[in-house]
Amino acid sequence: MLALVAALGACSKAASPVTSAPDGNADRGRALLQQYGCAYCHVIPGVATARGTFGPPLENVGKRVYLAGTLPNSRANMAAWIRTPQAIKPGTAMLDLHVTETDARDMVAYLYRLR
Amino acid sequence: MRRRMRIALWFLVMAAIAVGAAATFIGSGVYNIAAVDQHTAPVFWTLYAAMRQSVRHHAAAITPPPLDDAKLVARGRALYDDHCRQCHGAPGVAPEPFALGLTPTPLNLANMAREWPVRDLFWVVKYGIKMSAMPAWEFRLSEDDLWAVIAYLQVLPAEPPSGYRAATASRSQRAGAPEEPGSHRRWAVAGNPERGRTALSQYGCATCHDIPGVVGAAAPVGPPLAAVSRRGAIAGLLANDRGSMVRWIRDPQRVHPGSAMPNLGVTESDANDMAAYLYSLE
Repeated sequence: MLALVAALGACSKAASPVTSAPDGNADRGRALLQQYGCAYCHVIPGVATARGTFGPPLENVGKRVYLAGTLPNSRANMAAWIRTPQAIKPGTAMLDLHVTETDARDMVAYLYRLR
Repeated sequence: MRRRMRIALWFLVMAAIAVGAAATFIGSGVYNIAAVDQHTAPVFWTLYAAMRQSVRHHAAAITPPPLDDAKLVARGRALYDDHCRQCHGAPGVAPEPFALGLTPTPLNLANMAREWPVRDLFWVVKYGIKMSAMPAWEFRLSEDDLWAVIAYLQVLPAEPPSGYRAATASRSQRAGAPEEPGSHRRWAVAGNPERGRTALSQYGCATCHDIPGVVGAAAPVGPPLAAVSRRGAIAGLLANDRGSMVRWIRDPQRVHPGSAMPNLGVTESDANDMAAYLYSLE
């Protein structure tokens, strides 16, 4: 599965043009959440294939007070968690998926719509 | 005319029956006043909505002073640690045992501070709330100190649990030191899910988690616990089995140092019962 996730991650880089919006491009983010394989482990409203129960569901994640148990929820912290979960919480089941900064920002833009 | 009188008479009879039924219900004592007996969800949310609307209405005229001042925030944090933490807990710090036994359970302020306007928070702290355990601080704290507490509440949701510990460590050992639960043995004995459901309410779990069947504020502080049995890992770190669940519930600070989930002094048998209930959720 890891290989598949990695492959999907690689595909996504060519997916669509990079945005310059400061808060990210939510629609592109939604596609990326599927492309990086987030759907395997998380339920994400609006991402049809995202029915995984391995990780917590992401409904209302924009309203959550803390992320990963220790990070106060902000766009910057969510992006950091998506990009480098193993550095933030060593040993966590959440994988480092080599998400680029722009991609993370777009994912956050979509996840912050879920409130 | 006669028709109107007949309607009025009917109305009076119905009203008398309603009052009689209410008096009989109250007089019989069947209503369970025990704090361990959860409110039903409609009662809980009706009371909550009435409280919320009342606060909104009464606080409407309050004009807050500027609150983004580091000194004010620091004073507010100290006051919070002295007077609020005991019931509401703090990032990564559990409320005191007596507070967990209250019904309604004191709300988690990390979420409230983000959702409620400053003037509403101030009003509640100053005047308290009837029929809850929220005291009025009007005659206990000065106006400036009341605002200092509110100033701290503005930064609380963005303060990592480690930040609160560091800032209050020199003040008290209580806030800094997680409790030492005993050894974790693997639970072969099946827990009692019904007792676990009551325990989840009594330890205040439903203030921060959405747990089907446990009525509470369910603020989005921690993740929802529906279908937690199907999760791949507990807290992202432990295998999802009963022994690990008991361990996590009892000692989250050892499993994940700095977690916003506090050590609540849950006994082994209570944690085992909670796990039994949580694993019964589909």
